[in-house]
Amino acid sequence: MDFDFSDDQEQLRDAVRKWVDKGYDFERRRTIVKAGGFDRSAYNELAELGLAGLYISEADGGLGMGPVEGMVVMEELGRGIVLEPLAQTLIAGGVIGGYAGADVKAAWLPKIASGEALVVLAQQERGARYRLDACKTTATPAGSGWTVSGAKSVVPAGDQADAFIVPAAANGQIALFLVERNTAGVSTQGYGTQDGGRAAELSLSNAPASLITTDGMAALEHAVDIGIAAVCAEAVGVMDKTVALTVDYMNTRKQFGVAIASFQALRHRVADMKMQLELARSMSFYACLKLNAPATERRRAMARAKVQLGQSMRFVGQQSVQLHGGIGVTDEYIGSHYFKKLTQLELTFGDTLHHLGEVSARMEDTAGVFA
Amino acid sequence: MDLAFTPQEQAFREEVRAWVKDNLPADIAQKVHNALRLSRDDMQRWAKILGKKGWLGYGWPQQFGGPGWTAVQKHLFEEECALAGAPRIVPFGPVMVAPVIMAFGNKEQQERFLPGIASGEVWWSQGYSEPGSGSDLASVKCRAERQGDHFLVNGQKTWTTLGQYGEWIFCLVRTSTEGKPQTGISFLLIDMKSPGVSVRPIKLLDGECEVNEVFFDNVKVPAENLIGEENKGWTYAKHLLSHERTNIADVNRAKRELERLKRIAKAEGVWDDSRFRDQIALLEVDVVALEMLVLRVLSAEKSGKNSLDIAGLLKIKGSEIQQRYAELMMLAAGPFATPFIEEAMEAGWQGDFPGGEVGNAPLASTYFNLRKTTIYGGSNEVQRNIVAQTVLG
Repeated sequence: MDFDFSDDQEQLRDAVRKWVDKGYDFERRRTIVKAGGFDRSAYNELAELGLAGLYISEADGGLGMGPVEGMVVMEELGRGIVLEPLAQTLIAGGVIGGYAGADVKAAWLPKIASGEALVVLAQQERGARYRLDACKTTATPAGSGWTVSGAKSVVPAGDQADAFIVPAAANGQIALFLVERNTAGVSTQGYGTQDGGRAAELSLSNAPASLITTDGMAALEHAVDIGIAAVCAEAVGVMDKTVALTVDYMNTRKQFGVAIASFQALRHRVADMKMQLELARSMSFYACLKLNAPATERRRAMARAKVQLGQSMRFVGQQSVQLHGGIGVTDEYIGSHYFKKLTQLELTFGDTLHHLGEVSARMEDTAGVFA
Repeated sequence: MDLAFTPQEQAFREEVRAWVKDNLPADIAQKVHNALRLSRDDMQRWAKILGKKGWLGYGWPQQFGGPGWTAVQKHLFEEECALAGAPRIVPFGPVMVAPVIMAFGNKEQQERFLPGIASGEVWWSQGYSEPGSGSDLASVKCRAERQGDHFLVNGQKTWTTLGQYGEWIFCLVRTSTEGKPQTGISFLLIDMKSPGVSVRPIKLLDGECEVNEVFFDNVKVPAENLIGEENKGWTYAKHLLSHERTNIADVNRAKRELERLKRIAKAEGVWDDSRFRDQIALLEVDVVALEMLVLRVLSAEKSGKNSLDIAGLLKIKGSEIQQRYAELMMLAAGPFATPFIEEAMEAGWQGDFPGGEVGNAPLASTYFNLRKTTIYGGSNEVQRNIVAQTVLG
């Protein structure tokens, strides 16, 4: 039982933080949002730091690191509300590395690690909400490969990605496929998202596809769990910065002749924000340290973590806006963008109520970190 | 980073588990698991069993006869005791006054008082709060006047938990009215059998007398019972408050009570009601999050890195969780939580409890009783002041 970071992990954190502070300031971010919400050159800078290959083995060109390093990196990206979806890259590295055959691995992992290829998970379907088994997209054998047909929704950076990980029903069972964007039968329609990022509707019509695994449900659940752990860590970074911004503002802003930080009604809100932040950080650790656990244990842990993180994100975000007063609801102020990020993260990979249902369904007689 | 305990820590847990299994009297465990009333004898029987093993002062260093355990070992000990259904150790002696005597008492005081605390023979009470001094503890008025070789004590303490059983009481007394209120307080040990000490139990809303008023009327206290220096008592009291930072969360007890809540929900048929069950699930997430928070504090203490100054958060969350499980247990029983039949809260009652589940008898009383948790030990609003101070400056 040890929650200290190693020196290497601290160095990794410093490197990412330095890039965020110097290379991804609010002005650059604003420019990226205006230009559509995704910047390939910014993404490539992340890849140059090695981050795209975090979960990819050294043999395949990556860093071969684990969930703790993933958590450290995502926290720092959250602190800077970075738009480029590195969580998706962690999923791609983990799922292709963990489930694909040698040919798919060899074809894609080095390109993902170098940043040459951005691969994202396209699992969301209309009408499915957060259910992973609701999959109308189908796959059909074609020659030595497959084709897939169907539609996916709100695919992160969908019109910018080079390929998609697509769950599709093959012979009545969900399998995972890799589909390239620039290929026949694939079309995308991109749009901005509430957090300033980018997503797309993805349409697949007999699109050629490579099989990743026929054990699709297990792989998809694993993919989403990598995503949940990443989102939890990202959210901790966003909240950490949100609390810091709020504290700065309260110590600067004067009303009735004094700093508003002197008012007890407001101070208690800050104490409650700190509570939610530390509970969230604790559960982000928990998610991270359960990411390599057996599937049943892992799934339950992710649901528990997302319930805590979801509640924390909503509370911290809303309180921050309230404590800032009018400036908190302007587009000009950086804090409002942190609030929007927190809101979107709650809705990503299952919201609080969805995961509460998961926890509820998975409850046993005993409970606890080790039960 | 690693979630698992080390093999040594795990072996320690097994050792404690086996010992508790062999030594915790079954009748006491049965009462604890069902929230039935514990007598003075129950509490002291367990204290003496622990004392004989050398584990009553489980947080004590070896130099004072304690086991010298690490923060993690202490946590594991508390967890194994709680899950097995051991009563909470009455903290006033071994957890509260003993560390103050060790840190600030002289050698004679240590030799005189510590053995009786370690063995569980002597029952200690805490004399802090007064009618006019609750959250504002530094305003205590109970007066101790130095008269040659003794102090003359006059005044009143209140909310003295289990004071009706007390043999000794450690008190914050006013020895000076000059300067800041904090600088005129002394830390005095008083024999409750002294002439002039009287105890009046206060009946609480659950029908029990858990707390008391303690009156001091010209009580002569030998000067050798003063801990440390006169007028330095506030410093010693603060030391006490900063001691034992994680057990205030009581997360291990919360885990045990969550198990009981699930049993009650099943017996009452609300386990399969998703509206109710989701509330249990929310509490389960709270308990896991609190446990992770506690483990983070323990890890920080173990490594000495990343010190976590979050005792206030532990107190707030821990107390809220205690109130919530009590509330959900009562709600699960619904109409059958309303009968107030005191005999049914004692072990061995053979009557027919309304609704048929005698386990429902103490639920409302426990709910009422646990309203205290957000008030005592520094109210949660005072804790929020403290937390805000660390965040906002």
